[in-house]
Amino acid sequence: MSVATVAPSGPRRHGRLRHWWLRRLAASIETPLPQRRLFLIPTRFGLGWAVLVVVLLLFGINYQNSLAYGLAFWLFSVGVVALLRGWLNLLGVIPGLRLPREAFAGGETRLGVVLKARRERTALELQCDGARGRVDIVDGQGDTELALPTPRRGVQVLPWLRLETRWPLGLVRVVAWVRHDAELLVWPQPREEDEPAVHHGGVGLEASDFAGLRRFQPGDSPGRVAWKQWSRTGVLATKVFSVPPRQQLWLDYDACRGDPERRLSVLCARVLAHHRAGDRYGLRLPGVTLAQGEGEAQRRRALDALARFPATGDKGDR
Amino acid sequence: MSVRSARLAVPAVLADGRGLSGGMLRQLFIGQCLVLALHLAWMPAWLAGLALVVAGYRFVQLRRGLPRAGILLRLAAVGGLVLALWLQFGTLGSMDGLVGLLLGVYLLKLLETHDRRDARVVVVIGLVTTAVAFLHDQGIPMAAGALLAVAWLLQSLVWLSGASGRRQAWRETAWLLVLSAPLMALLFVSFPRLGPLWSMPQMDRAATGLTDTISPGDIAELSRSDARAFRARFEGREPTPDERYWRVYTLSHFDGTRWSRVTPDQLAATLGRPVDAFVEVGTRSPWQSHEGEHFNAELLLEPDSRPWRPSLGTPLESDSRQRYLADGTLEGLTPLSSRSLLKLASSAAPPANQDPAGARWNRLLPDDTNPRTRALAERLWRENGGDPDAYLAAMMARFGEAPYRYTLSPPRLFGDHRVDDFLFDSQAGYCTYYASAAAVMARMAGIPARVVAGFLGGERHPDGHFTVRDYDAHAWVEVWRNGAWRRLDPTAVIAPERIEQGPQAVDDGAEAFLADARFSPLHMREVGWANRLRLEWERLEYRWQRGVIGYQRESRRSLMAQLVSGWRATWAWLEARLPGSGVMATALGLMVVLVATAGLAWLARHGCQYRRRRRDVRWLVGRLQARLARRGLGARPGESPAAHLRRVAPWAGPAGRALNDCAQDLERLAYAPLEERERHQRRRRLAERVAEVRRRLPRQRHGSGGAGA
Repeated sequence: MSVATVAPSGPRRHGRLRHWWLRRLAASIETPLPQRRLFLIPTRFGLGWAVLVVVLLLFGINYQNSLAYGLAFWLFSVGVVALLRGWLNLLGVIPGLRLPREAFAGGETRLGVVLKARRERTALELQCDGARGRVDIVDGQGDTELALPTPRRGVQVLPWLRLETRWPLGLVRVVAWVRHDAELLVWPQPREEDEPAVHHGGVGLEASDFAGLRRFQPGDSPGRVAWKQWSRTGVLATKVFSVPPRQQLWLDYDACRGDPERRLSVLCARVLAHHRAGDRYGLRLPGVTLAQGEGEAQRRRALDALARFPATGDKGDR
Repeated sequence: MSVRSARLAVPAVLADGRGLSGGMLRQLFIGQCLVLALHLAWMPAWLAGLALVVAGYRFVQLRRGLPRAGILLRLAAVGGLVLALWLQFGTLGSMDGLVGLLLGVYLLKLLETHDRRDARVVVVIGLVTTAVAFLHDQGIPMAAGALLAVAWLLQSLVWLSGASGRRQAWRETAWLLVLSAPLMALLFVSFPRLGPLWSMPQMDRAATGLTDTISPGDIAELSRSDARAFRARFEGREPTPDERYWRVYTLSHFDGTRWSRVTPDQLAATLGRPVDAFVEVGTRSPWQSHEGEHFNAELLLEPDSRPWRPSLGTPLESDSRQRYLADGTLEGLTPLSSRSLLKLASSAAPPANQDPAGARWNRLLPDDTNPRTRALAERLWRENGGDPDAYLAAMMARFGEAPYRYTLSPPRLFGDHRVDDFLFDSQAGYCTYYASAAAVMARMAGIPARVVAGFLGGERHPDGHFTVRDYDAHAWVEVWRNGAWRRLDPTAVIAPERIEQGPQAVDDGAEAFLADARFSPLHMREVGWANRLRLEWERLEYRWQRGVIGYQRESRRSLMAQLVSGWRATWAWLEARLPGSGVMATALGLMVVLVATAGLAWLARHGCQYRRRRRDVRWLVGRLQARLARRGLGARPGESPAAHLRRVAPWAGPAGRALNDCAQDLERLAYAPLEERERHQRRRRLAERVAEVRRRLPRQRHGSGGAGA
């Protein structure tokens, strides 16, 4: 989408002007789409419809045929009403984004788009960076996910969202551009090392020491449900086992080989592997040191640090 | 999307975003069937077979996963279509051939309909084909059928734009049609009507009504048909049954066996005089004096391949330019391709002008035919002492005598002396026979005479319009006496009931009446309810044809004039009623009315919004909290509404109890799993309690117990 990719344009004066103009065009996110930000663009079929009306009108005139006149006028009126209804279909829609929780480079991520409106809306088409989706708003809300490509590690500025609808007849396209400041932090692409440094799946990795019971939550493995307890009390409970921290280790940038991106990819894969193994790990990057820790928060911190690591060549070669 | 995907019907477009689903193809096929049904009464029936074959091919192709129809197959199909049409009509240039080609291409297009764009093209061709069906007919059934077809086609378009269910598609279609109808009506009424911009191929229409030559046999054919010739409505007095002589043609040339019409051009060529002497184009007849009684008729004419226009007696004035012929008949400038209206003033009498062709022209007879009639004429002439009036009276009286009878199925006559054969041998016949014989006898006595072909009578509907049908066709005689043409109708002497009640009243030869229209509802005239139903339907049809189909230039102009005068009258009325005088005061008054209306609309809208909001608990309680805050009883940061209400209850005086109730209802509504009925009840109670709080809350500001306390 040309408009959106230009949005974060350079500091040149021309670019600024264009940027300002584009900002004038675009509606902002989380607010109802206003009248002045909706654009009506006839489709090819709409132009064909106009030709059809003219042809039928000429037909009616030349044959002095009242019903042909009537049909021509009716199709014209239907076109006008379709334009109005298409416009109303998009007016007042509140667009919102749901950023993906994690995104790895080299793949694609699913950007959630949530559209809200009081009335029902039909066949709203979304486009963002080449990804397309379709939403119907029923009972006040509709959502879909757009598959966005994430080619590179780092902060990825998302292009503007384009919302459009051709409902109800496909005669006109009602378009709105939605600007937003959402950024996506793309983690490096995980890459396994040539010789694996982490041996997982070994003896004792299983959590085995019984630590107590907790209330059953959907998603718990049936094997861990305390069925005996259930038969006695009628309350579903899950057995909890304590997992002893397996290893305490440091993941070091300097210990990896290859160009910086490759090192970051390897580190990423190791972070994921150690997290899966339940290890306690820290991360040392040039200029950044992440204290040892474990669990989901540590994983996120570590991967964020990898994603934000500046990609300048000289630091990596040291 | 996620909610709706559960009850997705068959989507119009396949998951790849391009290909059409089988359901959509079925939609398109049904649309084709509906459009084809509009044409089928006039077009060859094998087109329906073509539609079925094409649809069957697509069905098998989709089922078996066969490849698409190749270019060879499609070319062969089009070639076959052209060949079949050529065999059917003999040519492709005729209108029927062109319509057939359009229909065939529309049906064949389904073969190469694969994506959304193709489907839209099919729908557009369908709309054009629907419009072309209006060339066949513009009656109510056609309009209703077309409405159905158009609704279906629009619904197909709605599917193509992404409708996700049948109900949704139909609802959207209904909205589109209903919302656009007022605009359509407005455009229909106000759009200027233009004449044809260029000439187009016209539908071939069988000539109905009268032929312009009369020999025994012709009009009997007409009496077998119940086709409508025209309809008429009178402003002012309606003619009595014996005044309803509709003149169409005069036949002034007799060759011994048949009377035929001589057009102005033929007359001019024969007599060596300019055409202007026999015909003039205009809106007033130049041949007649315009004094005396007028009948103002509004005629709704059926389409015909010839430009004839009927007139009650002699035409005097019309609302559009017509050809006024010197023999006191009227012609249009062009044949009618569709029904149209004509306003015509006419006298119910024969014309009073001398035929510019001269009296001699109207006395011409071949010398060597009908010797027995000639002898009879000479005898009568002698017996009446050479008095033309007495001679004519004697001639008419002779027709009234016994052996002559009126019948619709007389013996056929083939000889060279047909008038002799009829007068002396068969002595049975209908109007043509008698008119022909009477005119011949008048000419034999040297009295200028001509046969007039036209219609007599017509069925009067309860709402006042007349329907004249083919079986009302009639022929009579006009003779030139004392400076005017005089009407002589021998049929009136022989069968007066034919004049008074119409051809169905004649018993003799009744089997010939409507013989070609066995299923005509006119057979049911005697059955009371059926006849009422028929009359009601015809009344509706008449109003449709007159009001909608006949809405062309003249009717539009008069309607616009009416609207303008209506507006002027309203304005004058307003000026008279409103205080003060002059345009300013009126404009001010109007403005006040407009502002008041807008204010009322705003209030109504606001009221609606308020009512809707009142059902929203959070909004209700939010307002209550704001009110409490104004009284100095605001909420603390992070305090829930219910906790807030509970906390301030002791300081709210008489409203305290209601506040506590509010808090409880609010919590129940927010957290308890209530059934819909109880929820509704609670909501109502909460609204009541909130109102109570507002009533009972002390007016003065409360220093203590406020937000900061």
